[in-house]
Amino acid sequence: MDFLQRSLDGLLEAGPYALVGLGLTLGFGMLRRVNLAYGAGAMLGAYLGSWLHVRLGWPALVVLPCVVLATALAGLYVQWLCFHDADRSIGTPQRASMTVSGADAREVVALASSFAVWMQLEQLCVNLLPRHLNPFPDFAATHEWTLGTLGLRPDRLGMCLLAVALVLAMTRWMNKSRTGLALRATADHPLAAHLSGLRVPALQRLGFVLACGLSGVAACAVLALEGQVTPMFGMWMLMKGLAAAVIGGLGHLRGVLLGAALLGVVEAHAQALLGPLGRDAATWGLLLLALLWRARSPASVLPGGLHA
Amino acid sequence: MLEIQGLACAYGKIEALREVSLSAKAGEVTCLLGPNGAGKTTLMMTLAGILQPTRGSITFEGENLLGLSPAQIVDRGLALVPENRLVFPALSVRENLMAGAYRRKDRAAIANDIEQQLDRFPRLRERIDQLAGTLSGGEQQMLALARALMSRPRLLLMDEPSVGLAPKVVAEIFGIIRQLHAEGTSIFLVEQNVHMALKVAQHFFLLQQGRVTFSGTPADLAEDDVIQRAYLAGTDHSRTAAAVA
Repeated sequence: MDFLQRSLDGLLEAGPYALVGLGLTLGFGMLRRVNLAYGAGAMLGAYLGSWLHVRLGWPALVVLPCVVLATALAGLYVQWLCFHDADRSIGTPQRASMTVSGADAREVVALASSFAVWMQLEQLCVNLLPRHLNPFPDFAATHEWTLGTLGLRPDRLGMCLLAVALVLAMTRWMNKSRTGLALRATADHPLAAHLSGLRVPALQRLGFVLACGLSGVAACAVLALEGQVTPMFGMWMLMKGLAAAVIGGLGHLRGVLLGAALLGVVEAHAQALLGPLGRDAATWGLLLLALLWRARSPASVLPGGLHA
Repeated sequence: MLEIQGLACAYGKIEALREVSLSAKAGEVTCLLGPNGAGKTTLMMTLAGILQPTRGSITFEGENLLGLSPAQIVDRGLALVPENRLVFPALSVRENLMAGAYRRKDRAAIANDIEQQLDRFPRLRERIDQLAGTLSGGEQQMLALARALMSRPRLLLMDEPSVGLAPKVVAEIFGIIRQLHAEGTSIFLVEQNVHMALKVAQHFFLLQQGRVTFSGTPADLAEDDVIQRAYLAGTDHSRTAAAVA
């Protein structure tokens, strides 16, 4: 019975993981570059939220949209600073005849500079609110539902439903809308998108900012259950998000749900068997396995583009 | 219709185009010939706004095209069918066509145009919901052409539509080029397949090492001894090299 309860707890953990991974997988799908400042941007939004909540006493329903907006703006800043060059230079004929993939200097620069921005944004947060624990609008449930002998936290369940709803809504929007088509086309083949008359720089910016906005939603949802935000939050978001997104197949929107569920369940069992360190080991182990498995199947080595 | 004057384009220190001047008339098929490495694709990418020239001017219907973004150039009525097709591999055939019409807002007319392209290319109709990456080379070439036509271009730019395709498919593609010309579409075509190009084009230019070295009608081309030696003699060789590459 312990096993069942742990599995259920782990599965419910998938809600936060999927929410966090969704923005990362979308951002990667758009530009094929991992944004290391992903968690830090959301953390900045969350710290601003905490500041508005504590210092100015703003109500939760105003604070949460502000967090999402601030995170999206932080994303715009990161894109402008680190990922801007991806626009035009992609279209030289030498690259045109290749599929646009593989590492080049610009990708390394984007990765390294986004790491620098991560540190910068984290420092900004700590300067804004130097304490380790900072209050955040709290929506945690005070009681637990019981299913026979199993306990179920309704707030966790709500988070899972939110994650599923958001992933499905994003998938549908990507598949059905005109802008969704343009985003997928840009992610799929930037040069072909240029030639089809798509405004590639604007679309790349939109996709990136959208991804960061989603990370703001994820941060709100996760922190509303915790009721507080710490300086470790940015790191937590990047690591869990990256693990869920990579396991689910980077760039694959619905895959995030699967990756998050797998991660949650394996982590819960690892924690019970081996303690908190075992939990971390499980996260890294799964991430490593996912990467190794992906590297073995040549067709899907870091698949390009977005798959809705 | 299209006027190019003294155009130069470089990758770093390597000049791909040195001094290119040529023009394309409305209602005609203009063909640019040239061996591998002559700068043909560079010229097409410059026309499409992907590459920026270092010198010279490009005007289309009297309007300067330099400095415009690729999207603005599509708006002006130019559409490039790129070398090696460059379809959206992870999008379906229908989505590829819709992406080609992205700049247009008239939904009913777009749906109508998709039908028209599917009538023109029946094989695309059979594969309408298939991912473009799973199509054969010939089908991808047709899709790239149909996608470019979806923007309703006044001048269609085609970069080596025959490359890497079976002779039967090449004949099919050139049949469609003839048909488009008959419908009044102006076409600027880059080709290495001189025999096929002779059947469709009204005016020829020859590009060698970044310079235009010949301009004339098909009759001039057949008479010009220089071209026979410089280009046609080397055709089989260069095409073999392209096939190996």
